[in-house]
Amino acid sequence: MSDLRVLYVVHNHPTLHPGGAEAYALELYEAMRETPGVEPLLLARIGTNVARRRVAHPGTPFSAVNGDPGQYFVFTETEHFDFFTLTSRDKALYTRHLTDFLLAQRPDVVHLQHTHFIGVDLLSQIRRVLPEATIVYTLHEFLPICHRDGQMVRTFGDELCAEASPRRCNECFPELSPQAFFLRERFVKGHFANVDRFLAPSAQLMDKYLRWGIPEDRIEVEEYGRREPLRRAGDPAAMRTPTNIGFFGQLSRFKGAEVMLDAMAMLDPECEAHLWLHGANLELQTPEFQEEFAVRSDELRDRVTFRGPYDHDELPRLMEGLHWVVVPSIWWENSPLVIQEAFFHRRPIIASDVGGMAEKVADGVDGIHFRAGDAWSLARTIERATASPQLWQELREGIREPYAMDAHVERLLELYAEDVETRKAVVVGG
Amino acid sequence: MARATVAEKRLRKALDADEHELKALLREEFAGLAAEQRAELLQRVAKSAVKGNGGSAALSARLHGVREVLRERLPICVVDERQPIGLAVEQILAIDERSFWISGWAREEEAGGRIVVVSPEGHRVDLSKRAFRFERPDVVQFYAGLGRAGDRDQGFTAFFELPASSRLGSGWVVELHTAAGAAVEVQCPPVNTDPQAVRTTILGELGNHAPPRRLAAEHGRHALSRLQERIVGEAEIDSVDTYGEPPELPEVSVIIPLYRRLDFLEHQLLHFSIDPELAEAELVYVLDSVEQREELAARARELFALYRLPFRVVNPTAGSGFAGANRHGVAVASGRKLLLLNSDVIPDRPGWLGEMCRFYDAGERIGALGAKLLYEDDSLQHAGLYFHRLPGTEVWENAHRFKGLHRSFPAAAVAQPVPAVTAACALVDRERYEEVGGLPLHYVQGDYEDSELCLRLAEAGYENWYLPEAELYHLEGQSYVAEARRGLSDYNMWLHSELWGEEIAATMERFDPHAATVAGQGVRR
Repeated sequence: MSDLRVLYVVHNHPTLHPGGAEAYALELYEAMRETPGVEPLLLARIGTNVARRRVAHPGTPFSAVNGDPGQYFVFTETEHFDFFTLTSRDKALYTRHLTDFLLAQRPDVVHLQHTHFIGVDLLSQIRRVLPEATIVYTLHEFLPICHRDGQMVRTFGDELCAEASPRRCNECFPELSPQAFFLRERFVKGHFANVDRFLAPSAQLMDKYLRWGIPEDRIEVEEYGRREPLRRAGDPAAMRTPTNIGFFGQLSRFKGAEVMLDAMAMLDPECEAHLWLHGANLELQTPEFQEEFAVRSDELRDRVTFRGPYDHDELPRLMEGLHWVVVPSIWWENSPLVIQEAFFHRRPIIASDVGGMAEKVADGVDGIHFRAGDAWSLARTIERATASPQLWQELREGIREPYAMDAHVERLLELYAEDVETRKAVVVGG
Repeated sequence: MARATVAEKRLRKALDADEHELKALLREEFAGLAAEQRAELLQRVAKSAVKGNGGSAALSARLHGVREVLRERLPICVVDERQPIGLAVEQILAIDERSFWISGWAREEEAGGRIVVVSPEGHRVDLSKRAFRFERPDVVQFYAGLGRAGDRDQGFTAFFELPASSRLGSGWVVELHTAAGAAVEVQCPPVNTDPQAVRTTILGELGNHAPPRRLAAEHGRHALSRLQERIVGEAEIDSVDTYGEPPELPEVSVIIPLYRRLDFLEHQLLHFSIDPELAEAELVYVLDSVEQREELAARARELFALYRLPFRVVNPTAGSGFAGANRHGVAVASGRKLLLLNSDVIPDRPGWLGEMCRFYDAGERIGALGAKLLYEDDSLQHAGLYFHRLPGTEVWENAHRFKGLHRSFPAAAVAQPVPAVTAACALVDRERYEEVGGLPLHYVQGDYEDSELCLRLAEAGYENWYLPEAELYHLEGQSYVAEARRGLSDYNMWLHSELWGEEIAATMERFDPHAATVAGQGVRR
């Protein structure tokens, strides 16, 4: 029996621009490459918004990545992408280039990690060109549902949104009509109808897609599998109280940057907590936000230290001095990778009590919840957490090993096999 | 007058041939005649010359030359708040080559004067009895210094026809002959010939004088019908582009006018492409916003390559509105049934077209069959039309049954005859459609073409039906933009009532719009 050819499609390559979904996609590709009986391919979108270089070769958007015969870039013009309808205005991308690629590679399974900058039309075109191919789609955020960068946070007051509708979306974007949102939803769903199986890394994300209308029998929860870190961080330097809290990730509003700073300013003077910010992409935030961040972190310099961007390989060393990791996002998140990272290094988590944080961190077991977006609640939680070496020790013992990549690969292969059979039956029967 | 008759013949001949002779004749033979004789001669020449020649710009120019020599000139009216006589022409609009719309005002000491419009070619039309007269507060105020004397209705607006074409853009004159025996004249501003601008201006004037609708009834209706004929008549099919291979003998042709919002094409093709029944139908798009031809051609090519659903695009030479565009679509269509569809209609799920066709075929004498149309929030947009007027008012409005209620509303789940259905989605047998003349062209891009079609079908003995099993979304008002229709709807509504008031009243005697009515079974609530 020949190898199973699996094509992974992702909206960006981690060597161009760091990001959770793209890092996971590359890890998964690499893990599959080491798995007997599987021949994986990775197709990552490249464009002028992430790379200096324009299209590599005349007449084709495809180019090889680092000499790996299994990894390709596909170049798409950022300006050709319709960020509202999630489609490329350049239909030749589908009808010519991606068609050529699919026919040349003939994957048995196309597992999409993302269709951003490529467009949902790809799903219909895969189905048309390769009727026998299985289409799997991992949902990483809420872009198909929510025009606000897929965050499902309302544009006024940053209230969490549990349900999209043309009326509600128009409230968030008064300049876009309810009819436009209706067409957007129908368009995306029209193309999504070609997907055999959706995977949701968290149950809360799946629930929102179920409510949006993805049929129950076509979606299931499958957590991101992660490769073990090469080295685990040791115990933090002996201290009387577990005072050191770390933040990893983008410093943005949605990630709760303001909530953290507000909470640190509200701490009891007796509290010895210190926050270490390992934050990336500050330069991508609005000038006002950057300005405010600079002023606030300077005011709080006795309690907060900004350490700048970090490389994934540095994590064990950076974790070493920390007791806690804080995940204060004010949006739902999906399954934040930082939670898995923290658990690998056995750091309990102080997390918002909503969405992926509430689901992946068990309050009182391996972390503590605070009320999302509420700086007062976070301040009290930090005071309680940093005052008790015993609580810290208990939570640390409650941490389970994150979902391993090996198990994830095994599960995916089961699902692929099942879907390939079903698809064959459909094609033969139909 | 024997001498004049011989000379007149020479004059007519000279108009055709010899400019030199024409000038000599005018000088030697006619210039010396009395004013009245000259006027009479001028009128006869203008009329009969055209009969022989059919009219041309050159002839118009020569006739204008003749008029200039022979016409008795009146003193030019100077508008002055101290002079009791005033005359002004504000605009003259060409409806077509032979009919015009004029508006202005005339002020005199007492009522009863004559307003005469003179075409550049010398035709005289007396507007006195014809014009719609109305008070002009601005004119009254202007002459306030002269006291309260003077004619009350200074304003005049009129639609009028000439016996022959007038093709000159300038040279129109209006004369005022007062009851007291004074006479003045003014030159008119250049003629506005742009049909769209003319239409907008006339609709604006109708809006200023409603109700009562005397201006609309006596002038507006004639002018606008002619204008519509001209606009529609000037739009011909320029080309038909075919994408893919449409079915050869389709049961149904789906006709979809496209206006501005070309993005709807992509949405419709996506949703149609997953419905096998649509592949068996003939899809005919008609581009009514003709300036988008290149853009549409580029998109259509790409979208056909992506969705592989065959369709045609009809490119007319000019836009002609919803009914006009449908007319082009029908001309190209080869199906035995016609499905009129708006571009902003998106099916809820596949199968709707088959449902409609089967129901249509099973019916006895169905005229138009409508569908359940939904808003984006799953409330009802259309479940059949009826007619409504407030007690004490004359004009009937089109109304939608159960509009705004949830799509599951029980009374909207019953297939039943209705007074009319919307053309946003309507299935009609082609022969029946043609038997009644199709969508009427006399409305100004209005909401009444479909109800008149249904009234015509009913008059011919067919029954219009509503079918709830066919469910589609209609993003109402997204295609033909609502702003362009404000003011139009008043006129259209009036015309619709004027033409069909009796039939509507009789229909509504028998129809209960608030209940599900099953044919022959009375009312079910």
